[in-house]
Order: sequence, then C-alpha cells, then structure tokens
Amino acid sequence: MSSSILRSRLGAAARCSRRPAVTRICTRGYPAAAVPQEERPLETPDDWTQFQLDRAEFKTLVDHFSNYGSTQTRDNTWQPHHSLHRPVAPTQLTLSTLLAAGAHLGHSKSLMNPNFIPYAYGVRAGVTVIDLDHTLPLLRRAAKLVRSVAANDGTIVFVGTRPDLRSAVRKAASRMEEQGFHVADRWLPGTLTNKVQMFGAQAVLKQRVVPDLVVFLNPLQNMPAIRECAMEHVPTIGIVDSNVDPRIVMYPIPANDESTRTAELIAGVLSVAGREGVALRKEEDLKRQRRAERMAARQRDYERVAVE
Amino acid sequence: MFNVLRQQARAPLRRAYATQGYVPPAAANNIGQSMIPRFKPRPVSPTFYTGLPSYFENVNTLESAITTSRNILQNLQLLPLPKFARDALPESTPVWKGKDELGFQVETKLTTARYRRLVGLLTQLEEFRKIADTAGCVEVAESIGDVTVLFQRENRDAVLAGGKKKPVQFDKYGRTYTIGRRKESSARVWMIPVQGKSQKPAAAAASSVPSVQAPLPPAAEVNESQNEATSPDLTPFLSPKPLAKTEEPTEVTATNIIINNVPLIKYFPHSLDRERIMRPFRLAGLVGAYNVFAIARGGGTTGQSGAVALGVAKGIVAHAPEVQPLLKKAKLLRRDPRAVERKKTGRRKARKAFTWVRR
Repeated sequence: MSSSILRSRLGAAARCSRRPAVTRICTRGYPAAAVPQEERPLETPDDWTQFQLDRAEFKTLVDHFSNYGSTQTRDNTWQPHHSLHRPVAPTQLTLSTLLAAGAHLGHSKSLMNPNFIPYAYGVRAGVTVIDLDHTLPLLRRAAKLVRSVAANDGTIVFVGTRPDLRSAVRKAASRMEEQGFHVADRWLPGTLTNKVQMFGAQAVLKQRVVPDLVVFLNPLQNMPAIRECAMEHVPTIGIVDSNVDPRIVMYPIPANDESTRTAELIAGVLSVAGREGVALRKEEDLKRQRRAERMAARQRDYERVAVE
Repeated sequence: MFNVLRQQARAPLRRAYATQGYVPPAAANNIGQSMIPRFKPRPVSPTFYTGLPSYFENVNTLESAITTSRNILQNLQLLPLPKFARDALPESTPVWKGKDELGFQVETKLTTARYRRLVGLLTQLEEFRKIADTAGCVEVAESIGDVTVLFQRENRDAVLAGGKKKPVQFDKYGRTYTIGRRKESSARVWMIPVQGKSQKPAAAAASSVPSVQAPLPPAAEVNESQNEATSPDLTPFLSPKPLAKTEEPTEVTATNIIINNVPLIKYFPHSLDRERIMRPFRLAGLVGAYNVFAIARGGGTTGQSGAVALGVAKGIVAHAPEVQPLLKKAKLLRRDPRAVERKKTGRRKARKAFTWVRR
C-alpha cells in the first residue's frame, strides 16, 4: 500500500514538473516568453535601473540554486562556443573529440570520389562514414607541419569562405599573431598568380607576398585558390570530404567539411600548433640576438686587448 | 658556406621560388646563422590576402566591437531586451557617411553590397549604444559612441533638418512674412491678425509695415457684409435669427488688404483675381481676421494674384496651423508649377506647327 502511495506521489511530482516555477529555474538565458515580467513602461532612467536590478536578482536566484542539483554545470560541460574559444591542442586530440564534432559524417554513397576510398570506413544508411583512424594521424601530421612552418618564420593563410567559418579563420589567424592571415570572404582570383596587379609592384618586391602554407577549411568552394597555390608552389592543407579527391591538396585531412564544429575544431588544432611554432621562432630569435650580442661584446674585448 | 656562395653566384639564373634562400638541412650545420639569407618582411595586415585589407580590417573591428558591446550589455542585464522595453527606446537617427566618403575612409572602392554590410554593422552598434544610453550606462554608451561617430557625417544636424521646411518666423509685432510665386510673378506678403474692438486699439498702427502710406480712408475697407448693402435696412432679413438678450453679437472685424500700396479692389479690378486672393480666407473661415500687405512684382494680373494668394495661404497656416490640412486639401499651399511653355525649333510657337506642305 505504501509503495502505491509513493508511486502516486512520484507520478504527481512528475506531472507537477511542468509548473511555471520549475520552468523558471530551469531556463538558462531566460527567454522573455518563459519569464513573465511586469510589462510596465520604461520612461525614466530609474525605471531602466529597476528593470536591470530585477533581472540581476532573478539571475542571482538561478545561480544560487544552480549550485544544488546536478554536478554538470555550464563550466564543466561542452558549450557550442567552446569549439571556437577553447581550442584543443594536437596532443590532446582524441577520436572521441572528432566523433563528437561529427567529423566522421561524409556525403552520400553516390557522391563518393573513388580516390577517397582509402579514407572511408564504410557506408551506413547511404552515407559515407569517414575513417577517423586515418583522420587523427593526418590531422596531427598537418599540425606538425604548421608548427614547423611557423617555427621557421613562415606565413600561414587560413581560408574559410563560408559565413559560419568566418569567425573560425579569424580566430585561427589571430592566434598566430604576425604570421597568421585569413581569408573569410571570397578568395579573389589572381591573388597569387596576378600579384603585381593585386598588391602593386612595390609590395611584391619589398614584401613576402607568397605565403608559405595555406589551410583550406572548404577546399571544394576554393578550387581556383588551390590551383593558384599549386602554380606558385605553396603547400596546402585542406579538409577533404568524401566527395572530394584528396590529391587536390598536399596534406589532406579527411573529415566532414559541412560541419561548423568540425571546421572550428580542426582550425583550432592547427592554430594551436601554429602558436607553438611562433613561440619557438620567437625563442630562437631571442637566442640568436643574445648570441650576437655576446659575440659582439667578445669581439670588442679582443680588439681592446689587441690595442693594448 | 660553400652552398650559400654557390647560390649567390647563381643568383641571376635562379627562378623565383617561394622557398628562395632555402638551405638544405645537411649543409646548415656548417653555416653561421648570420650567413643564412633572411627573408623579406611579412605583410602587416592579417587581411592582406583578401585583396581589400583595409575594408576587412574595418569590418572585423566593427564585428569585434559588436561582440564586446553585446557581452557588456548582457552582463548589465540589458540584453535580450523584451518588447515592452524595446518600445520604450527613442527613435535613433544616425546619419552615416555616403558610399564615396566611407570608401575614402576605408581606402577601398565600395560597392553597394560592401557599403550596406558596413552600414548594417554600424546600425547594430548604434542600436546597442542607444540601449546603453537610455538605460543610463554612460561609459558604455560613450565608448560605443566613440566608434560610431567616426562613421557619421559631420553635417549630421544639417542633414536631419534638411528635409523639413523652415517654420515661418513671427516678428516682435506678431507679423508673418511669406513669399508666393506664380508664373513670372513673385509676391512678398506680410500678415498680422486684426485686433478686435475689445482688444487694444493699437491694431491700425501696427497692421502695416515697412513702407506704408497714410492710413486709408474708411471707404477703402473691405467689409464683405457691407458690399451688397445699399440704402434699405435689410438687417432683419439678413440675420438668421434674432439674438437672445444675453447673447453678444459676433464681432466681425474689418481688414485692410493692400497690394503695392493700393487697396485690393483697386489693384485687381477683375473679380476673379480678387476671389483668388480671398479663397484661402473663405475656406479657413477667417475672412476678416488678418490685415495683409503685399508687394507683387513681375508678370501680369493672374500671376500676381496667384502669387499673393499663395503667400496669403502660407501666412494663414503660420498664424493658424490647424487650418493646414484644409488648405492642403484645397491645393492652396501648392506652388502652381504651370508656366509659359517655351517655343520650339521647327514650330511657330510652343505647340503651333508651320503650315503642312505636301512637298
């Protein structure tokens, strides 16, 4: 009898979970529809201040109760912005990370490029599954390349011409400080093959216009750019999907090119490696500078001794 | 060392590879670091390879500013803003620079799409500034304003006021000065409300104007009710109903309408011209309410009467703004654009053709 009472109480509790009070506490980001607020007109700055205080009060309440209940919080769970702002280091990259990002989802079987077969795990429900056992080492190889190029004072261009890739390439380039560049909108044809007209003769003579490495987050939409890089002997890294021939780029990374999360993950990994390379380069420069100073000091000492 | 010397000797024959100055690793151990040729400097801007570095730098800066402001406003609980709060925001009137001016500023020839993209970002930033400003967060609003002001026109106030017509000024005596034009004529019209008998008697002196003759004899007054009145006393027949004992008779004031120092009936002997000038008064129901002094130049009778009529209509609207929709509906506030059509070559007059000849 007691168990039936308990069961009915649990049932009641489950049914009651749709009460507005519970919904209030559970809503993160409290959209206006879920949070009923007094709709009084805001006329004076004091009205606005009160409005802000009411909201802050509600937020404090939510934050306070968030400490109880589930141990999974906003900070210790993956949030969508983490793929952009918390990049993974190449050494910490795992198959699970790639899987969670959906990097294994290729295109349909009918669109599969025959040259991609070595990188395909198989087909399921008409969709090609990319073999992440190949993706992971190839990604780490690409990361090593980026690190080496950066350590040797090379310039790296991140190309991602879709709107959702814009922030990823910007962030990746900014991580590499002076050695990182990005193309977030259209790659203008002739950037490398028609550089004198594009940048001016002075720039071509005085500056290093041709980059040392180009990373493509969506190579299929940037075939002219890939062709130009080949013509100018610029090594390329690219995310190749199952409908793409992996040989178009020098260092293919077989992964899902349609997923923003995957692209952000890969750009993040490469840019972290690039950041390490930039740090190595700066260290080298510093050492060289110190050595040069020491040698110059020693030379001066010798000269002084010779004179005496 | 020898490798490097060999490379330098071959310099004229060397093709321009991206890896110019490459030294194979095996030989690198014997070379002093100072002998490895250093590369040329890198491009400075991270948007160098886009082809429009300055434009995309500006776009990126604005996008960063938008992201930062959004975060700040979210922390201040001002975003997302519910509808009732958004309705309480004032209207924003930013006046962004034109395509050419903005293109000059970002050092790029702007197409419409690029210009619109920039203006879209600026509008979003201005929206955030407005929210911060209305809520009283002064520092945030000012810091955002520092960014948006760089892209606004200098003559912002002039542009905002440009579309609106200047209001008619009243001088210290309460006179309005308006101008009317029709065909080749232009008229300058001064108007002042007529003071009734109950008010100060200074009306007659103040009614006229810059250059005026001696006050006119009573015979020149235009009083509509007296125009058709002759010797028999028809007042019992004219008035609609007898006034009650307590009711005050409606005071009908008499006006002076003077054009080029000549009274109206003398200047415009044709009744059509006089009617044209009286029409705005009639429609507004203000027939005896204003004294009018006009100086008309150019054209003929029709042109001058039309010009005075337009000036009078504008003056009435200045004195009694509630009448504006009425006069607008009656098209009395419209400067009549009709003018004499020019003569064309190959025709005798504007439209009249020469006699047609078969051969």
